Amino acid sequence: MMAWPAPLRALGHPMGGLAGGWLLLVAAAAVLAPFLTPYAYDVQDLPQAYQPASAAHWLGTDEFGRDLLTRLIYGARTSLSVSAAAIAVSVLCGMVLGAAAAWFGGWPDRAVTVAVDLTWSFPEILIALILVAIIGPGTTGVMVAIAVAYLAQFTRLTRAQIMTLKGETFVEAARCLGAGTGHILFRHLLPNALAPVLVSAMLATGDAIILEATLGFFGLGAQPPVPSWGGMMSAGSALVFKAPWVIIFPGLAVAITVVAINLYGDALIAELDIRQKLRRTA
Amino acid sequence: MTALLQLEAVSVAIGTVPLLDGIGLSLERGRILGLVGESGSGKSLTAMAAMGLLPLIGGRVTGGAVRFDGQDIGAMTDAQRRALRGGRIGFVTQNPMTALDPVQRIGEQVDVVSRLHLGLSHRAARARTLELLTRLRIPEAEAVAEAWPHQLSGGMKQRIVIAMALAGEPELIIADEPTTALDVTVQAQIIQILGALVRDRGLALLLITHDMGVVAQVCDRVAVLYAGRLAEEGPVGPIFAAPAHPYTAALIGCIPQDGMAKGALRGIPGAVPSALAFPPGCRFHPRCPRASDLCHRIAPLPTPRAEGRVACHHASPPPEGQP
Amino acid sequence: MTPPPLIRIEGLSKRFQSGGGLFAPERKMWAVRDLSLAIGRGEALGVVGESGCGKSTLARLVLRLIEPTAGRIIFDGTEITALSPAALRRMRRRMAMVFQDPYSSLDPRYTVTQVLAEPFRIQRQPLPAGAIAALLASVGLPDALAESHPHQLSGGQRQRVGIARALALHPEFVVLDEPTASLDVSIQAQIIALLADLRDRMGLTYLFISHDLGLVRYFCQRIVVMYLGAVVEVLPDTAAAPRHPYTEALMQSGFAPDPGRRRSVVPLTGEIPSPFALPPGCAFAGRCPRVTDRCRAERPLLSGDGGHPVACFHPL
Repeated sequence: MMAWPAPLRALGHPMGGLAGGWLLLVAAAAVLAPFLTPYAYDVQDLPQAYQPASAAHWLGTDEFGRDLLTRLIYGARTSLSVSAAAIAVSVLCGMVLGAAAAWFGGWPDRAVTVAVDLTWSFPEILIALILVAIIGPGTTGVMVAIAVAYLAQFTRLTRAQIMTLKGETFVEAARCLGAGTGHILFRHLLPNALAPVLVSAMLATGDAIILEATLGFFGLGAQPPVPSWGGMMSAGSALVFKAPWVIIFPGLAVAITVVAINLYGDALIAELDIRQKLRRTA
Repeated sequence: MTALLQLEAVSVAIGTVPLLDGIGLSLERGRILGLVGESGSGKSLTAMAAMGLLPLIGGRVTGGAVRFDGQDIGAMTDAQRRALRGGRIGFVTQNPMTALDPVQRIGEQVDVVSRLHLGLSHRAARARTLELLTRLRIPEAEAVAEAWPHQLSGGMKQRIVIAMALAGEPELIIADEPTTALDVTVQAQIIQILGALVRDRGLALLLITHDMGVVAQVCDRVAVLYAGRLAEEGPVGPIFAAPAHPYTAALIGCIPQDGMAKGALRGIPGAVPSALAFPPGCRFHPRCPRASDLCHRIAPLPTPRAEGRVACHHASPPPEGQP
Repeated sequence: MTPPPLIRIEGLSKRFQSGGGLFAPERKMWAVRDLSLAIGRGEALGVVGESGCGKSTLARLVLRLIEPTAGRIIFDGTEITALSPAALRRMRRRMAMVFQDPYSSLDPRYTVTQVLAEPFRIQRQPLPAGAIAALLASVGLPDALAESHPHQLSGGQRQRVGIARALALHPEFVVLDEPTASLDVSIQAQIIALLADLRDRMGLTYLFISHDLGLVRYFCQRIVVMYLGAVVEVLPDTAAAPRHPYTEALMQSGFAPDPGRRRSVVPLTGEIPSPFALPPGCAFAGRCPRVTDRCRAERPLLSGDGGHPVACFHPL
């Protein structure tokens, strides 16, 4: 019997389906941005400034007369790609560090554990701010900052997973057959540790979007005229009374996307849990 | 003599899946009834039904009745059932390692049972706890009462769990595989303690086990379950001497014994069917050496035999000289 | 002349340490202490004992899955305790192990086919055509299960897969570490029958570890009784009468399925002492009905006597 993979089954949940649908929509919009909108994100049209929602500008325009929906879609490009890329780098490095710590034990383990504990005693935003200050503002800086801020989480999770799996009998069985480190790590330990780490990465992407928006709001993210959701909110904050839509719509985009990621993540966890339960009771 | 615990054709389902089908049992004071069968035969579920605990696992009684001392447990209020459990019905679980709260001292965990169910004061409850521990042959009872669970061995923990079951002055004890997690030399001690309790205090003991050796050692009667149905029930003497049901015979034959010829131990082919796929007719027929066409179609009903009952179309005849 | 044994174990010891960190004091225990044994080719040697007796440690030491603190293990003339890691890995195709827990001994992500192909892949041997089907057939599993995952199998079926994996490369020596302890008695009997058939068909040598003396007496030819890390007696055959009081107590602790043979006397009081705080004399002294002052002061050594060695000052 071939079952659907868990990420697809999670779409079958009422909330998971809704949330997954939204995420697919946002991702598709980000990818297809140039084909979806007749406007450019950076061309100013001052006579059209401060327009509320209309047939021509569905979400209105900003202080330079740029179409808000267009900027929101291009902003999704920046926000999602920066967050996702940062988390991907973070997961990759975290898995290598965590697996090495758990596998070798001894001083590598102690060094990694101390570093993780140190990182965790600072708020993520503080770490990110310090790093951006060092590297300088811009998408690269934000990406590195987010990746480092979440590195501890994935390192610790991977380490804990591998530590548990190391004690499983199937690992001993592989050793008994003559398997070396490479075989055990890459054929048994890491594949089994992957699912929980990926779920955690999924949820962390939500947090990363907020962190990216926060850094953008402080003007440390993508530099104008390239739009990002945080940067758009920053610009809109001066216009709260004059043109509230300029800050409301990017804010909503961040909120809905983050909620959707969490809901979809919950559905995914439920699906993975069910499979583990079946495994235990069968 | 009226039975203390009586299951009258009890059927149980979880959700829409029927798991127990018309189980009838009765247990009198001062007696030990062994409940045996492989995993998936419905032993533990029968115990949960007897204690009115089915709602915990989403199950319910779909037919028949469970009577404790003449009263229908199903007709009681939740409060009445709670008073019964830990009070008149004590429970001994399979795994003593997880049955005790790790962050509470041993004494307090036993005390609370008699305070709750007998209304004793702190001091009276502790005195009773120490008396119970001494009766269970726990050396240095006072020191043990002040100990934490992790400081005790498995056998000692199981005695504490038995003390907790006894603290509410029960009339019936239900023990679910009480010795499975213990070493053999310790198992012998625990089994003997349980047997002595029943004799000395007139308790009734429902002993769930998969070990026919334990049944032969302490039980008065034995009920053999298979796939949610009663296969055979009766006094241990006749059943072990001449099991009528082929499943009972096969279970006894699974225990290696002195002088057994090499190759004599073959086990029972196949496995207990899942509740989602019980076969039609007699549920044992796919694994049964005596299965006939009749067994494929029609489920045998329990019929009296010697002093017990057997549910088989091809039950062995009783030995010579018995009805 | 008797043929040389397949396995010779000489003075094997393993010491474990726990604690020693910031918060826990360091504690040491001998899981196995000065153990010597020989296992003949084609023999099924049983090792019995209760929890903490060191039988599982012994199983892992014999296959060098853990490193001994002292002692040598010689497998068919080769000292495996002296082999390089690479040579040891090659040697592993000749020895195998079946584990107690059929639930965690198979990787949940692997199909049955992948589990059975793993030995070939690890030992870099080509997977012969039809090998998987032959392995399944040899342990009595239908071909239809080949693409199943472990969670779709029953406990008995998983243990059969575990046995098939152990036999994939045709080893000569198999360590069976309580292979039936987590199974129903009906399934236990099936697995024992299968292991006996396989031994006859493939000429295997077994080291059978168990807590169940009745089962070991049924399945094995010679029986080693362990208590707290040391061998207390070696029964030369299954009919031999016990000479050590602990062996006798073990025999009397099992219940025969015969209500006519009930016992009112418990063979042993007390429980196994902690291996971290062993008394200086005989480890069994605290529970032994025949104990004397000498037993409390001095540790009895295993002494062979008419091929029936026992470690006791007052044997039966």
